[in-house]
Amino acid sequence: MRALGATATLTLLAGCSGRHNWLAAAGEEAQSVETLFWVVLAGAAVIWSLVIGAATYAHRAEAKPHREREARRFIIWGGVVLPVLVVCGLLVWGLLILRHITSDDGALTVRVDGERWWWRVIYDTPEGPVTTANEIRLPLGERTLFKLTADDVIHSFWVPALGGKMDMIPGRETTLALTPRKLGNWGGLCAEFCGGAHALMRFDAVVMEPGAFVRWLEQEARPAQVAEGDRGFAVFEEEGCGACHAIRGTEAQGPVGPDLTHLASRDKLGAGIYAMTPDNMARWITDTHEMKPDIDMPAYPGLQGERLDALVSFLMSLE
Amino acid sequence: MAPRNKTVPPGDAPRVIDQGSVWILVAAPSIWAAHFLLSYWVAAIWCAKLGRGTTLMEPRWIIAGLGALCIAAIIGLAVLAIRRYGGVFVIIEEITESSERARDRFVGHVALLLCVLSAVAILFTVIPGMVLGEC
Ligand code: HEC
Ligand SMILES: [Cu+2]
Repeated sequence: MRALGATATLTLLAGCSGRHNWLAAAGEEAQSVETLFWVVLAGAAVIWSLVIGAATYAHRAEAKPHREREARRFIIWGGVVLPVLVVCGLLVWGLLILRHITSDDGALTVRVDGERWWWRVIYDTPEGPVTTANEIRLPLGERTLFKLTADDVIHSFWVPALGGKMDMIPGRETTLALTPRKLGNWGGLCAEFCGGAHALMRFDAVVMEPGAFVRWLEQEARPAQVAEGDRGFAVFEEEGCGACHAIRGTEAQGPVGPDLTHLASRDKLGAGIYAMTPDNMARWITDTHEMKPDIDMPAYPGLQGERLDALVSFLMSLE
Repeated sequence: MAPRNKTVPPGDAPRVIDQGSVWILVAAPSIWAAHFLLSYWVAAIWCAKLGRGTTLMEPRWIIAGLGALCIAAIIGLAVLAIRRYGGVFVIIEEITESSERARDRFVGHVALLLCVLSAVAILFTVIPGMVLGEC
């Protein structure tokens, strides 16, 4: 029994550590929610102790009548006035946090579109929009404003360690700001059940030094470097991948799936779920629905041997 | 529900909210519900007509003003609950007797508590409106 309890506690604690931990906030917005949480928890503990203490006292103490006036005053102040004031205070505090994290300013604006089951990411830069997918990079210490929407059903954008969450609603735009305070690769996920592969709808939120971020964004804005007559790109075109996927700088301009221009510069494959390795890439193409069930991309089991190798090494070269 | 009470002078129309009637119980929650709906409509129509990006600066005052009116009405009800029903906030001696008088006191007590609850609920509609003024 004790072993079971210890295991359960450990599992719980493990669930609360690392890159998804909102109780070890790595951003300002998560910090404000965390502070509110600890204050509410401490307050609840105090109230709980007082109530249980009073109940124990009432149980133990010798029964004797209270004066009516006192009893009445105790009930009205302790049972009505105090709870109303406390709850109003918490409501205002929570609303102020909400107002701050959704207010419309930020050094950088990123539009994120939730799709089943991946993320379309567009950085608004003075030189124009830069489209990427499934990975979000952020400059340390700067407030980034996210404009969120969805394509098909309601999704929810959440990076527990940095802040959120915020619903992504088809036909509407919601806003959320994130101001990272710690470098690192934080986990993001969809927090609103959206169908079959919902649990596999993830992304990395990579916090970088501002200088490195600017260089990354410049690189991301460039079209892909595809060599004339590249064998892998020829396979990509023959198989019709370009009908769904865009590789900027080539004929491939499909808007259905994730932008692949700098695919290999991402840390993960398939919306934050697999390591970006040639093996996983090959399986992604041939055993698509074993890798991620229900997705809108067809599997290409017939693609084998030299053609598959060429395609995979082409995709892995898109940095 | 006709008042079964003898104190109503003959010839006077029976009052809806008076001893013997339980309508007072639904009055306060209904005021809350009306305020909630009206606030909802005001905000929704405002935002729909003026478009996204407009603020709720003006309608938030409509919502707050309506709230003040509704709370005033609820205070009036609370006064009635005390005057006509002999309601008290805190019942010290249990009401066990089966009589008109005891029933009225019980209804008055419940009505008073519902008044407090409805007033707080209205406050909870007004506060978000005051803090978050966006469509
Ligand atoms: C019918 C449209 C469609 C076609 C055709 C298609 N894909 Fe996809 N692809 C998608 C969609 C949708 C996703 C996102 C799936 C998800 O993660 O939910 C995707 C995801 C991917 C990813 C992962 C992207 C990332 O950010 O991790 C790769 C790589 C990929 N496709 C390669 C290919 C290749 C190579 C082909 C051609 C052999 C191809 N796709 C054909 C729709 C398509
Ligand atoms: Cu989702």
